[in-house]
Amino acid sequence: MAQTPHATGIVADPAEASSHSSVPARPSSPWRTALSLAPGPLLLIAAFALQTQLYTGQVRMVTTIFMFVGLAAAWNLIGGYAGYACFGQVGFFGLGGYTTAVLMTHAKLSFWLALPLSALAAGAFAALVGWPLLRLRGHYFAVATLGVAEGLREIVLNLPELTGGGAGITLPSVGSDAVTPWLGNDGFYVLFLLLAAAIVAVCAAVAATRGGYALRAIHQDEEGAAAVGINTTWVKTCAFAGSAALTAAVGSAYAFQQVTIFPERLFDVHITVLMVVMVVLGGAGTLAGPVVGAVFIAYVSEWLREQLPQGHAFVLGALIVVAVILLPQGFTNYLRDALRERRFSLLANVRRYRL
Amino acid sequence: MSAPLLVARDLTCRFGGLLAVQGVSLELSPGRLLGVIGANGAGKSTLINMLTGHQRPTSGTVTIEGSDYTGARPWRITHAGVARTFQIAKPFRGMSVLDNVALGALFGQSRALPLATAKRHARELLERVGLGGKDELTPSELSVADARRLELAKALALRPKVLLLDEVLAGLRPAEIDPALALIDSLRRDGLALLMVEHLVRVLSSVSDELLVLHHGQVLTRGPAQEVLHDERVVAAYLGSRYAARQRAREAGSPA
Repeated sequence: MAQTPHATGIVADPAEASSHSSVPARPSSPWRTALSLAPGPLLLIAAFALQTQLYTGQVRMVTTIFMFVGLAAAWNLIGGYAGYACFGQVGFFGLGGYTTAVLMTHAKLSFWLALPLSALAAGAFAALVGWPLLRLRGHYFAVATLGVAEGLREIVLNLPELTGGGAGITLPSVGSDAVTPWLGNDGFYVLFLLLAAAIVAVCAAVAATRGGYALRAIHQDEEGAAAVGINTTWVKTCAFAGSAALTAAVGSAYAFQQVTIFPERLFDVHITVLMVVMVVLGGAGTLAGPVVGAVFIAYVSEWLREQLPQGHAFVLGALIVVAVILLPQGFTNYLRDALRERRFSLLANVRRYRL
Repeated sequence: MSAPLLVARDLTCRFGGLLAVQGVSLELSPGRLLGVIGANGAGKSTLINMLTGHQRPTSGTVTIEGSDYTGARPWRITHAGVARTFQIAKPFRGMSVLDNVALGALFGQSRALPLATAKRHARELLERVGLGGKDELTPSELSVADARRLELAKALALRPKVLLLDEVLAGLRPAEIDPALALIDSLRRDGLALLMVEHLVRVLSSVSDELLVLHHGQVLTRGPAQEVLHDERVVAAYLGSRYAARQRAREAGSPA
């Protein structure tokens, strides 16, 4: 029975196997690493150059895009690499903003101190709630984190002496009692650009090292990850806390930029939804994915608002639906596979990834 | 014989009203291979799961090199030097074959290795199990036999002292079994303590130093392979009447 066609069917086609093995092994030389990292600094320089070409309204719009690049990249750590879809990420954004507001208003702390402290506080808080929450998976984790964000908003609303409650709180950044003077549109452009670059750099560092391997393993098979010796609880908690801290840093800068903040704005669930959509469309678990997704969504959303003041939200929603159907694995993942296999058909892509 | 590396005492696992494993004790020593046989549902996989922390025992203890690891988390048991393969191969599908193995080399010990070192180890292991040159494939591009090899390489990457093999030969063609057995035998000669669960009784008895027969979660009998296979209770409970008849026929036909 040795050579029945049925028996050979189990083994990969020999021709195909040999063509694979003839591909020379690609050692990760320093040159390759350097080349793969080059786009980062180049983009950063381009972003600085862009600033000189924009008028005020555009500066603010691009600043917002940078903010979402940072937020999406931060969400990608837990939602993309680790595969734990956190739907309460805006909770950490708000926590960062309000911690900064309270520190600057009540403790008269400089913004430059308040920002790292807010990030640390949110990270510690996330580690604390993450310990029990990260035992949940899938929908349960998503719903539980959504609850955490809502809970945080209620706490802020119900502590008016500290947070101003629903009436909002104004950060001391103007006039004679300013702790740290407001940075101006150009200042915030640079601040958010540097924040976004720093967050993407952190993600790049994580992705290239052991932590990235551990997170991807957990994403694909948590039981298997534990079986190869990964302390899954520890790795997940670190990713969650890190993601929360980075998100809070952006929230802190946002609060400083807005001057007066309200719970409804800083804990707005739309911000979470945007982060998720940007990462999923751009490509979850990749470095470039959140950047591409954030720039695309933020830009298209703004452009549509100008072109179609009445129906822009509807058109954006429809666009997202079409994009998710055609590119369910996200743009960067599609591009990588398509380049690798030289197959660019979107229909084939839909067939391959449909659930 | 040197001291056992892994000792299990009176392991019992209850799922609601079902006693999956009941009072099983075993010892795994360096350079020895314990074969475990039993019908489907006899508790073989549950037994392995209890040894590796994937299933907390209802009662009983697991000791590794003298320290208690009963109900410890799987990664702790991995760091203590116990590796396993899964009955249903579980590669990380989004990673290359090389990265699958490198993961084990990275995290298998309590002190994690640098990435470059881990990848070098992984390449050597792929070469050893016969997957050389397939580094950059994804697991879904592998044949059944190669997927089994990958599963074994993943476990070996942890540099274990104790290796639990849950049906690594399943799905292999006859011609592929001998090289696999030679590999397992070389591991034993390297001094690993091995436990092997397999359906192919004849094959398993040829490599085992000792056989343990599970029946409805309990140890039916244990001992040298040839004794166990001729035990009437084993023949009746597991191998079935057809095997018994063939055995009798062979014995009747063979004398000079």
